[in-house]
Amino acid sequence: MNPATEQLLNQRIVELGNLPVLPTVLHSLGECLSRSSENVDVERVVNLISYDESLAAQCLRLANSALFHHRSEVRTVRDAVRSMGLARVRDLVYSCSLPRLFANVKQGMAADIFWRHALGTALISQYLARRLSIKSYERFYLAGLLHDIGILVNALLFRERFHEVLRLAQTSEVPLVEVERQSLGFSHCDSGRVLANLWKLPEDLATTIECHHDPTIGGADPEMTAVVGLADSLCRLRGLGYGYYEAREFDLASEQTWKFLAAKFPAAAQLDVQGFTFELDEHAVQVKALVDAILSGSKSAS
Amino acid sequence: MFRFGTPLAGLLPALFLSRVADGLHVVIHRSVSRASFDGAKAISTNPSVLYNQAATPEDLADPALCEIRDLLYRVSGIYQMDFQFSFLVNRCRRRMKALNLSSFAAYFRYLAAPATGQDEIRNLLNEITIGETYFFRNQPQIDALCKVILPKVAALPFKQERKKIRVWSAGCSTGEEPYTLAIALLEEATRRCQDWTLEIVATDVNDDSLRRAAGGLYNEYAVRKIRPDLQSRYFCSEGSLFRVSDAARGIVKFARLNFEDLPAISAMREFDFIFCCNVLIYFDKASKQRAIANFDRSLLPGGYLFLGDCESLFHTENQFRLLHYPGATAYRKVMPGEIPGDAV
Repeated sequence: MNPATEQLLNQRIVELGNLPVLPTVLHSLGECLSRSSENVDVERVVNLISYDESLAAQCLRLANSALFHHRSEVRTVRDAVRSMGLARVRDLVYSCSLPRLFANVKQGMAADIFWRHALGTALISQYLARRLSIKSYERFYLAGLLHDIGILVNALLFRERFHEVLRLAQTSEVPLVEVERQSLGFSHCDSGRVLANLWKLPEDLATTIECHHDPTIGGADPEMTAVVGLADSLCRLRGLGYGYYEAREFDLASEQTWKFLAAKFPAAAQLDVQGFTFELDEHAVQVKALVDAILSGSKSAS
Repeated sequence: MFRFGTPLAGLLPALFLSRVADGLHVVIHRSVSRASFDGAKAISTNPSVLYNQAATPEDLADPALCEIRDLLYRVSGIYQMDFQFSFLVNRCRRRMKALNLSSFAAYFRYLAAPATGQDEIRNLLNEITIGETYFFRNQPQIDALCKVILPKVAALPFKQERKKIRVWSAGCSTGEEPYTLAIALLEEATRRCQDWTLEIVATDVNDDSLRRAAGGLYNEYAVRKIRPDLQSRYFCSEGSLFRVSDAARGIVKFARLNFEDLPAISAMREFDFIFCCNVLIYFDKASKQRAIANFDRSLLPGGYLFLGDCESLFHTENQFRLLHYPGATAYRKVMPGEIPGDAV
């Protein structure tokens, strides 16, 4: 990011007061849940969730919702964690808490659209990493979930101008990042980086947020950045995008990021990309249902 | 796990006979809407749904069902989405009843057994592909063609010289697909390439389907997805039916064609686009392979092949590049000098 952009963004943040602060509970939970499942301290996860009243309530509500076919009522956080499984608990923890932080973003992208794309990219990033046999693929989930967080920052800091950017992207059917760069002179990647610094996120997450649209390979964890970048593109092509038609052709084989992964992971060459696309569509149906359930719950709770 | 039932209407089952590689004649029912979530919803609200027998949660959680799904995908390239499982359950049940089998696991073993599998997979495919078709059935595919691909192709220097777009609708059934393409291309051409010649060759093996296609007369069900302005521009009503306008019919040529008829196939040349949707699923591996090689020869360099929603070229030898568009995929023939090696 060029220094002038960074200065501008930081200045806007000072003018407007602070950006949302990442609650400590999410920090600790995030750390807990980013480990591979056999190393997760379930007791600590249960305690951390129980700590946060509204998180605990959401957890029970979702565990008892129609998404899970439970025969009897789930009454405790411990039962909820046990019955949903850690992966679902993690979906829930993040996707319930992060929208709360940005609840006052009134203009810009509709909340359900934004969080569908975020959760979709999280799931697909992790899934793609696993299919490529990348070790500790669990870490990719959070990176996917946060990759576009700069869109929310832009909506907070540049209300009208960002609204105009979105409208322009929709009518011209051009990817958002390109319109941002043209109209604002920077993109959600830059503002996401500023928030990542503010939140003191680990460097692998921060560079993934900053570089997921960058075709050159680099940063603290180039594998993570490449996987999240591809998952982002695939989600936008399979019904989990920004809610408008992006008139573009995506040639996976010629993507630099794919070539980088294919050279590194033999599993990439074996991947049936078309079949993988069909699987994405199944994920898309589930992600939509999950996000809708979570958002409708947070509306009725507030 | 949560899944969505997909009741599909078995309307207008266009039956035709097709020669398959082993020389047997089998009855084939074609064209069913798959994959489009939107389509699934639309059909479920249709009053003329013939089938809606709910599958139980136990059925849907049966791992043998996933095995059947995966087996179908491996042998036919056709994929049943999670939300279509209750449809798959229902169609498997019909076959299980006929075979007197009581569990999905037993049915999977029957499907996978060397002695019984090949015939039974064909029987099951026939069951799950009974259906109907209608205009603009695959809107994302049409959008990809008109909004992304056509502008690119039209800008190629050799296309600018020839000023001609040729499309082959391979397995056109009763004509909904080629007329949809005609309407979409005519609309796009008025914007982009007004003085260009548009030509759509639509082929099928079924004389009956072709006769109906040439007539261009459709019921309300077939036209229900057409944008109102397009409907008024390209159709005129005749009683309760709708006739395709001369403008659209004028650029579509229908012809009988069997994919195994090599001399006829080799006359199909210089196409920019081939649409072959939900047809290859009825072919075995060898005949599918031949069809794909023929499509490659029939396309101009850089031409595109479109398949049905859940179909793929995986497990075939080909030099196409898989490309993604919003909600759609297509295969592009390599350009001269382009290395197909890194295609996926």
